[in-house]
Amino acid sequence: MAMSKYDLTPRIAPNLDRHLVFPLLEFTQERQLYPNDQILKAKIELLNNTNMVDYAMDIHKSLYHTEDVPQDMVDRRVEVVARLKSLEEAAAPLVTFLQNPNAVQELRADKQYNLQMLNERYQIGTEQIEALYQYAKFQFECGNYSGAADYLYQYRALCTNAERSLSALWGKLAAEILMQNWDIALDELSRLKEIIDSKNFASSLNQVQSRIWLMHWSLFIFFNHDNGRTQIIDLFNQDKYLNAIQTNAPHLLRYLATAFIVNKKRRPQFKEFIKVIQQEQHSFSDPITEFLACVYVNFDFDGAQKKMKECEDVIMNDPFLGKRVEESNYTVVPLKDEFLENARLFIFETYCRIHERIDMGVLAEKLNLNYEDAERWILNLIRTSKLDAKINTQTGTVVMEPIHPNVYEQLIDHTKGLSGRTYKLVSQLMEHGQAQAAR
Amino acid sequence: MASKFWSNQADSETESEVSDTEQDDVSEQEDATNAPDRNKYLDTGDSDSDDSDSHKRVIKSAKDKRFEELSTTIDQMKNAMKINDWVSLQESFDKINRQLEKVMRVTESDRAPNNYIKALVMLEDFLNQAMANKEAKKKMSSSNAKALNAMRQKLKKNNKQYEDLINKCRENPESFEDQEEAEEPSEDEDDDDEDESGSEIDDITKAEPESDDTDDEDDEDKDVNQPGWERKLSKKDKLMEKQFKDPNQVTWDTVNKKFKEVVAARGRKGTGRLELVEQLTFLTKVAKTPAQKLEILFSVVSAQFDVNPGLSGHMPINVWKKCVQNMLVILDILEQYPNILVDDTVEPDENETQKGTDYTDTIRIWGNLAAFLEKIDVEFFKSLQCIDPHTREYVERLQDEPLFFVLAQNVQAYLERVGDHKAAAKVALKLVELVYYKPQEVYGAMRNLADQSEVDDGEESGTESKGGPLAPFVNVPEIVPRKPSFPTSSRELMDNLVSLIYKHGDERTKARAMLCDIYHHAILDEFSMARDLLLMSHLQDSVQHMDISTQILFNRSMAQLGLSAFRAGLITEGHGCLSELYSGGRVKELLAQGVSQSRYHEKTPEQERLERRRQMPYHMHINLELLESVHLICAMLLEVPNMAANSHDARRKVISKTLRRLLEISDRQTFTGPPENVRDHVMAATRALSKGDFQTSFDVINSLDVWKLLKNRETVLAMIKNKINEEALRTYLFTYSASYETLKLEQLAKMFDLSESQTHSVVSKMMINEELHASWDQPTQCIVFHEVEHSRLQALAFQLTEKLSVLAESNERAIEARLGGGGLESLSSRRREGQDYAAVAGGNKWQDNQSYTQGRQQSGYGGGRPYGPGQNYQNRTSQSRGGYQSTRYQDSAGAGRNYGGSAARGGQMDGSNRMVSLNRGARA
Repeated sequence: MAMSKYDLTPRIAPNLDRHLVFPLLEFTQERQLYPNDQILKAKIELLNNTNMVDYAMDIHKSLYHTEDVPQDMVDRRVEVVARLKSLEEAAAPLVTFLQNPNAVQELRADKQYNLQMLNERYQIGTEQIEALYQYAKFQFECGNYSGAADYLYQYRALCTNAERSLSALWGKLAAEILMQNWDIALDELSRLKEIIDSKNFASSLNQVQSRIWLMHWSLFIFFNHDNGRTQIIDLFNQDKYLNAIQTNAPHLLRYLATAFIVNKKRRPQFKEFIKVIQQEQHSFSDPITEFLACVYVNFDFDGAQKKMKECEDVIMNDPFLGKRVEESNYTVVPLKDEFLENARLFIFETYCRIHERIDMGVLAEKLNLNYEDAERWILNLIRTSKLDAKINTQTGTVVMEPIHPNVYEQLIDHTKGLSGRTYKLVSQLMEHGQAQAAR
Repeated sequence: MASKFWSNQADSETESEVSDTEQDDVSEQEDATNAPDRNKYLDTGDSDSDDSDSHKRVIKSAKDKRFEELSTTIDQMKNAMKINDWVSLQESFDKINRQLEKVMRVTESDRAPNNYIKALVMLEDFLNQAMANKEAKKKMSSSNAKALNAMRQKLKKNNKQYEDLINKCRENPESFEDQEEAEEPSEDEDDDDEDESGSEIDDITKAEPESDDTDDEDDEDKDVNQPGWERKLSKKDKLMEKQFKDPNQVTWDTVNKKFKEVVAARGRKGTGRLELVEQLTFLTKVAKTPAQKLEILFSVVSAQFDVNPGLSGHMPINVWKKCVQNMLVILDILEQYPNILVDDTVEPDENETQKGTDYTDTIRIWGNLAAFLEKIDVEFFKSLQCIDPHTREYVERLQDEPLFFVLAQNVQAYLERVGDHKAAAKVALKLVELVYYKPQEVYGAMRNLADQSEVDDGEESGTESKGGPLAPFVNVPEIVPRKPSFPTSSRELMDNLVSLIYKHGDERTKARAMLCDIYHHAILDEFSMARDLLLMSHLQDSVQHMDISTQILFNRSMAQLGLSAFRAGLITEGHGCLSELYSGGRVKELLAQGVSQSRYHEKTPEQERLERRRQMPYHMHINLELLESVHLICAMLLEVPNMAANSHDARRKVISKTLRRLLEISDRQTFTGPPENVRDHVMAATRALSKGDFQTSFDVINSLDVWKLLKNRETVLAMIKNKINEEALRTYLFTYSASYETLKLEQLAKMFDLSESQTHSVVSKMMINEELHASWDQPTQCIVFHEVEHSRLQALAFQLTEKLSVLAESNERAIEARLGGGGLESLSSRRREGQDYAAVAGGNKWQDNQSYTQGRQQSGYGGGRPYGPGQNYQNRTSQSRGGYQSTRYQDSAGAGRNYGGSAARGGQMDGSNRMVSLNRGARA
């Protein structure tokens, strides 16, 4: 199917938690990228290993248009309920303790103290704490994310096992994402990132894998959080993370590329990123990365313009990029407009750099605008002094002001740094001398 | 007893032929006693008691023929004696010995024919006579005298074997006459004649003092036991054989005792190496337990390794083959008795091997399969080094490759089964090294060869399977496959092996496997894959510290990588890979494809010998002409526009020093003849290109005959043509931009035979990179040139500022060196560069000391980290295929190496024109 050509769901899904895949499937279902039956089947498949049996039953009914559900689902439901009961009982002492606000106040910042106190006064030992973890996990699997998030938070406060704590953190992050608490999720994300970066992994392979998971999960947050587009660059463009992308998940380049295009603040890193794209051309390419290659590597503006149209499709069909916002009566995809605007600017910028005189008609075509819009658009640019040019309406052209760097300015630029460097050198020398004298 | 024995056997055989079902216990037992020896010598014809008429007739005629030959040679010898011609006598003597072997084979007797013995007696007498006659000796010509002396030596040695018979003959020559008569008719009779001749021999051999068993039994056994080569055995060996002639009497102890004795003799003076091997081989046949057989086989293999003493020569090929067969038998045993463990860490119990087949606990035997295999590989390699590659012998030797391949595969499978993954990885590396340099076609040829040889094998094993039931001696059926299994594509094979190695191998094994992998990817035109592997493995950093053969492998991989980049049209990358190889003018040495003479310092013989031992066998060579032309063409495509761009200041930016130097040399020539070698061609092309004559340039390049070595010749040539046109355009613009005010795109495209869009792209790139001070006038499709020529004063001012910054930098570096690292984050990138150069210098020093390294190569190419955005690959260990876990892994290396990303990259950009970088494409 043409529309699903650029769909990354199959590549992203393996790096996500089962529960996190649902939003993606929902989206593909909505966009009708795949036949509905396939998606429903995939959903059942996905639910098989979770405890959301009721949901699975519903899907089963709608898929086969029956009211019957297979026996194994019914059995599973019984089993799940039984297990829930037993876990609830096991964790009950701690849960009741935690629900008592007075008791909770007794807890202090000192973990050891807390453990001791719990053990002595409430007979709550490691087993109960472990039970809490299991219970939280089970809750999560049942789809009760808020409960799971609470329990996991409390578990982390009491847990002494670093491994367990880490996986609790992952659980918490997933729960927050699924509840769409983006601010909290972002906090959890940075906490998790710190742990991954600082922890000594048994093998570097695991570390890379963790980073890749982290990046995939973070996509939910970054494309929903207000500040996400800057932060995604900050995270993904770090060397270690960029390496991980290049190694095992080149499809994430799409998101990074998009973030770079829509974000004007991160220009310095942009050139480096272009190189990465060029390097990874053989392992991943989609219209968005190809667009960048067209504009910045091959200077193929016609190609870029074609790619821009394809980019629109890609964005519309991407679960992260194509997020819809209801605005008065119609839905818009805010990212799409932003992307197109910026992409246009990219083309125009580069185009202007190598041209002296451009025909307005051609320009309008290249920018995917009609003549009037193009003129207005350029006028705006000139007015906001982003562009040093004049419009010649008689010939219908834009004439660039030649930008000749002044020779003397250049000379000054070259030498400007020198004195600073020398000064630094001297001060360093002095410091060293003093240190020597002091010794 | 003999006759009884034989008749008995004949009976049993006829019985069994009549009806298999009637076989009783007795006959089975009888069969069993004979079987082991018989089936070993099947190739010498079936046992004599097999009565089939046609079969016998063949033997008869062959016998006659051999005997006739023998007697004619004896006549020749007699003639030679008459004229006192020792030279021809010596020849005849050699001939007769050869014939003797054949005679023995057809008659299946271990006793030399009487006329041969008589000839020996005659010869001995004549020799003694000649030696005694001093005057006659003096008169002899030098060659004759020499032959006489040689003859004396030979005869002495030879006669020792037949001492008894000779003495017997001297005592009563008549009996020998008789026997000659008797021999003749015996051939006409059927199998009974063996009994007769046997009884005759009885008479003669009665004198044998040392035989402790009855003589007839003795002979019978030898009859069966006799392979051709045992003729050469000394008396001692025969003695040994006698000890073991009766299978029922051989015990573990006797074999063990004998084994210890033989092994103790190893390495002692006067012990023939081949002899030792033969003795041990014999012992393997009579070993009582599988464990013992295994132990002895291990000794056989190591004794076979000793056959060739020197380091320089190689193991004789037939010994090598036997060695491989022995190894296969070892594997058979190990496969059949899984309770036997091979170990080289613990010294096993003295009597460990006594435990028989029924013993189920583990038995430990000393040995190291992987080490043996490596040794076999080394010998194979050496033999290929030594054999002249243009002979048939070389090709035949190459055909042994599947033989080694199957052995290695079996050893690997065994080691994996045992769980010794480390050793298995080593063995897998041997396989990788056998395959990595083969393109798909060659690999396919090897597969076919292996398939064919399998058909032959199948026939052989078919005949062998008739052998019969097991003997008290250990006999092992062929369990492990004798045929290598090849996946359809070499890539598949490589992937399997390489991922195994990455999982279990040690550092060196992994590094080598990685290099082989890179090489293989490169020849399969998967440049980006190969490049990624190289970058993420960080081998370019660490290879300096590895052994020389690995460094050679690295160089070979780089060369292939360069070729692959070139084929893919990546000129800069190709040049980056190859230029270091050519910078020292020692490419032959770096690739181990021949010895290059250095004008400036002589090599000691020791160094030369070392270098010769490193040479690659011919079939693994990378074509040097192709390599050179690719390198020079890459250099030309980069350098010509570069020279045009910096015409006023030619020394400033030099991309390829090699090309510049060659150009200078060719410019100095008064007359330039038509191009002959690769260099001439490229020089001619370069000159044409710098004049903008792209057509001539391409024609000259096209006329090189190395292109026929390329698989996708047409596309590569089209690529070259296109590149030449592009570079001609760039050169033209650089040179003449000052003379134009505007230039039309259409005209330009036509001028250089390029499409308009391509021209547009090229020119745009030049504008963006500020190589060309111009801009497009879109409505008219023209290039408008801006006048930005600097005045003389301005140019000088720029030069001054540049020098100033160099000064500041060197100051910084000086202080850096004194104060050590620390502080000054802003300098970090520059500092690193400085270190790189230091590394280069270090490499050079090392090179001088050791006469052979490619320190320069490594540090220049890798130079720490200047290899493009190499850092990006630091983490790439986790390739889906298991990845290569480098010790230099960025994350585990700690903060020391974690410098801020953008700063480091910026640093790389700064230095990119001076360092090799594969990824300079986008300067956007």
